[in-house]
Amino acid sequence: MLLPTHENVINIVQAKFSCTEIVKTLHLNASITQKEWLDENRILALVEHDSTFALFIIISEKLKPESFSDLTIERAIPIDEHFSCDTDPIPESYTHIIFSIIYKKIKLNFVIEIGFESSNFASEVIRLKEISSLNVNDFHWLDKYSSGVSQTEINLQDPAMNDQSPDLPIARQKIAQGHGISANRESFLRYQLSLKEPEYTHLQEFSIFVGTWNVNGQPPTISLKNWLSIDQEPPDVYAIGFQELDLSKEAFLMFDTPREAEWRKAIMDAIHPDTKYRSVAYVRLVGMQLEVLVNNSHYKYIRNVAIDTVGTGILGKMGNKGGVAVRLELHNTSLCFVNAHLAAGVDEVERRNQDYNDINQRANFRRHPYTIREHDQVYWLGDLNYRITEQSAVQVKKHLANEDLASVLLADQLNQQKDLSKVLQDYSEGDITFQPTYKFDLNSDVYDTSEKARAPAWTDRVLWRGKGIHQLAYRSHMDLKISDHKPVSALFKSEICVVDQNKYRKVHEELLKKMDKLENEFLPQVTVDQSEVIFDIVKFREPQYREIIIANTGQVLAEFEFIKKLDDVSYCKEWLSITPFSGCIKPGEKCDLRLTVNLEQPLENIYDILVLHLMGGKDMFITVSGECQKSCFTTSIATLSRAPVPLLHLTPDQFNHAENQQSPILYSIPRELWLLVDHLYRNGLKTRELFESTALHEEIIRIRDWLDLGSMDQIPGSIHAVAEALLLFLSYTRDPVIPYHLHDTCIAASSNYQNCKQIIMQKMSDLDRNVFLYLSMFLQELLKYSNENGTDPKTLATIFGDILLRDPIRNSRPQANRGKASFIYHFLINDQSSLIMPCK
Amino acid sequence: MSAGPYNYSYIFKYIIIGDMGVGKSCLLHQFTEKKFMSDCPHTIGVEFGTRIIEVAGQKIKLQIWDTAGQERFRAVTRSYYRGAAGALMVYDITRRSTYNHLSSWLTDTRNLTNPSTVIFLIGNKCDLEGQRDVTYEEAKQFADENGLMFVEASAKTGQNVEEAFLETARKIYQSIQDGRLDLNAAESGVQHKPSQPGRNTLSSDQQFNKDNCAC
Ligand SMILES: Nc1nc2c(ncn2[C@@H]2O[C@H](COP(=O)(O)OP(=O)(O)OP(=O)(O)O)[C@@H](O)[C@H]2O)c(=O)[nH]1
Ligand SMILES: [Mg+2]
Repeated sequence: MLLPTHENVINIVQAKFSCTEIVKTLHLNASITQKEWLDENRILALVEHDSTFALFIIISEKLKPESFSDLTIERAIPIDEHFSCDTDPIPESYTHIIFSIIYKKIKLNFVIEIGFESSNFASEVIRLKEISSLNVNDFHWLDKYSSGVSQTEINLQDPAMNDQSPDLPIARQKIAQGHGISANRESFLRYQLSLKEPEYTHLQEFSIFVGTWNVNGQPPTISLKNWLSIDQEPPDVYAIGFQELDLSKEAFLMFDTPREAEWRKAIMDAIHPDTKYRSVAYVRLVGMQLEVLVNNSHYKYIRNVAIDTVGTGILGKMGNKGGVAVRLELHNTSLCFVNAHLAAGVDEVERRNQDYNDINQRANFRRHPYTIREHDQVYWLGDLNYRITEQSAVQVKKHLANEDLASVLLADQLNQQKDLSKVLQDYSEGDITFQPTYKFDLNSDVYDTSEKARAPAWTDRVLWRGKGIHQLAYRSHMDLKISDHKPVSALFKSEICVVDQNKYRKVHEELLKKMDKLENEFLPQVTVDQSEVIFDIVKFREPQYREIIIANTGQVLAEFEFIKKLDDVSYCKEWLSITPFSGCIKPGEKCDLRLTVNLEQPLENIYDILVLHLMGGKDMFITVSGECQKSCFTTSIATLSRAPVPLLHLTPDQFNHAENQQSPILYSIPRELWLLVDHLYRNGLKTRELFESTALHEEIIRIRDWLDLGSMDQIPGSIHAVAEALLLFLSYTRDPVIPYHLHDTCIAASSNYQNCKQIIMQKMSDLDRNVFLYLSMFLQELLKYSNENGTDPKTLATIFGDILLRDPIRNSRPQANRGKASFIYHFLINDQSSLIMPCK
Repeated sequence: MSAGPYNYSYIFKYIIIGDMGVGKSCLLHQFTEKKFMSDCPHTIGVEFGTRIIEVAGQKIKLQIWDTAGQERFRAVTRSYYRGAAGALMVYDITRRSTYNHLSSWLTDTRNLTNPSTVIFLIGNKCDLEGQRDVTYEEAKQFADENGLMFVEASAKTGQNVEEAFLETARKIYQSIQDGRLDLNAAESGVQHKPSQPGRNTLSSDQQFNKDNCAC
């Protein structure tokens, strides 16, 4: 169940819980996506207590905890009826998915790596959820974990938690619409390219000059050369940050200051004269300004420049404190420069830490990567404002006079907080070999002589994070005296990943080709075992089945569906049905389809081409065909009355002549009709529910064959079967006994017997009239025995109205049905013997 | 860590038509896989292939529908013409009958596609010079008279296969540039942004669910 490497961890996690609370399983490295949450290392743990389960979110100091003191329980979520979980793909990722935990209105999204661990964990959560739904659960044991209301607790109540980042649903929708590899082609390519990066890149050292200066609202009255161009070689990149550019109210309120242009010009005048530079990005928030310049020749390798500002000052959002940031890609390495000005005040250590966290959480470049931490290299500069507190100003100055920086650095708040992992946790800083840069009397090298006499401090710092960064120099610049701070600079040799265009093109092309191939391979593929389905002789209402097997021979899920052809109304003709007509087949698996043909029309043969469509893939044609056998059930009354012998004994010529009404009428009603009615007349008058019970299917088939082939034998089947055969016969004759065009007239006349009689006598053909009157006389006969057979004229009128006046499409309106029934009703209760006329 | 932006700007839909056995499926296979299938079964349906090409620096995704050539499927395959930006009309230079049928294929194409559809005539199996039954000149004349582009090609050796597919794309691209092809027209056969092959155009409206019908 557990990865072996996790066995240690589970013991460590178990140590956080009491012995009745058992850690069942874990998921390491679950990072939460909501911005409001601290970006921490999180572990998800499933814990059982007395057959109830809860999911714990635990913060771990280390990627893999080494002792239980590395762990903090952040939240416990009971697995009860309010709990559910879900997974979602991440756009552009083949390696990770989002695992969401939903509890009441709260949704927490974790990014986890796809693999054994995640699938195990997710399935275990789902399993426990199912178990819990069967039990009565008591979650009092969780109370102790939710007493201390943490910051996250507050966040959980925040409605904003329910919102996901706005572009996520869109991206998800994109994935949902797509299938297989092609939907994610671009992200797949990007991922593959990143894997192959070493093949087309090499590391090249770039010099990066990072400078920071709190200018105390002073204008640039001096040259910055002694700060910006003191190195022999011109740097490749400059990142220059100022704080307190303008302390005036106007700057704070209007966000506008003339100092901006003045200082930018001062920079341009002072940068290294041996090379031309170009500004890549510039950003300012009130007094915090950051400018990034590059050597002209590198400019074309800069891409995706973005900036953001975070105010953490008054009200926690104003721009008097906070940070400004520039991110960019230089060749293939992403760089982020952050110029921060953290809370002032000797004792405001916590506030400064908080500002640092806020900048990290709130900075968002609105493109990938979104956050500061996600960059390959981060340079963090600024007036971080950490002070010396444990030593008095006098003590500090004494150490400094003795050139004993080390003693003072021990008391440096930043170093202390960093050691406690409270701020700039995984950033590095070079050794400080320069005097504190704060606080000087203006235009002097003398530390604060005012009444406050603050202890000197290294407020102005440069730190870094990321691979391949080597600091060459870290210094202050004492010559620049106009501010109460001295400027600081750091020079780096940083390894930048440089793309070899030729190699890149080759790798790219190869990948494209590979993907074209993959894409075709990843198209859904299936085979069908037969593309021609031929049925045996198809007979009236005698269904036949054929199976076809669809096998998924491809590498992806195959979703199939029969689709209709351009002008058709359905994916198959009315005589056919297909089950299932759509479905999903896993690679290597098969699906049986059953084609059923059931004929209820007079067809000579059946023929259709079915189109079996694969979602995102090919279409296959399946031809269905078969010959049909004639039956009296679907032949017209006019034809049957002309047939000298049973239908299947007719020669084709005889049949055609009868069909075209060229041969003489031989019977005043069809022989078949007479056979059915006569049988009922002789044997069924006293049968209960004669027309209301259904017969066996085979009986009807036997009666059909008996009629179509003719026989000396008794009519087969029960009396009910014969009755049903009569109804079927009347329902399927090619035209209804009362022709369609008379239906409306009949319904309109139905309240008046004389009118009804007139329609029958004057508007119908002799044959149809004979059939109609013959039937009504038979029904009247039946009604004479209603004491025995329990029938009544209303029921019969309804049954026969529906059939003798059947609609072209079987969906008649109830209103019309009533009219039809009352029409027939007249002929069941009035004597008609006078109407019968001899056949001409 | 990021790579150069990669994307295709257009999707072109192609259809391949022509009598059975002229080598339509082999041409598609040669184009997408660079391989020849000597024992290719008849296509019973419509095969689907895709490849990304570059025209004038633009990445274009070709979605190619290879139709069944057998006469009995003709009525069904007609539904696939709709919305094709390119039509590759193939005959077999060793079988005169396949050439004689071209005018009927051409009529279908003209009737069922839109006027900007690029029609490319391919005389396939030109590796079988010894069995030639249709001369280059007469086919060329037929193409000229009907305003078709034309090459003789071989799905076996690959000769001119790439050219036919790419030349068609170039011509379509040109039509877009000239404004002759209206991208917004529903059936231009060109899509401007990447999307899925999705359901084919057999029926653009809702599927009729037969199970809902009381028959
Ligand atoms: N010598 C030679 N044989 C070819 C060439 N192209 C196709 N063939 C052969 O011709 C036969 C038919 O090729 P297909 O590609 O299946 O023909 P089709 O046009 O797809 O046929 P249908 O799918 O029935 O419409 C196969 O046996 C191929 O091997 C070619 O360029 N040269
Ligand atoms: Mg084929």
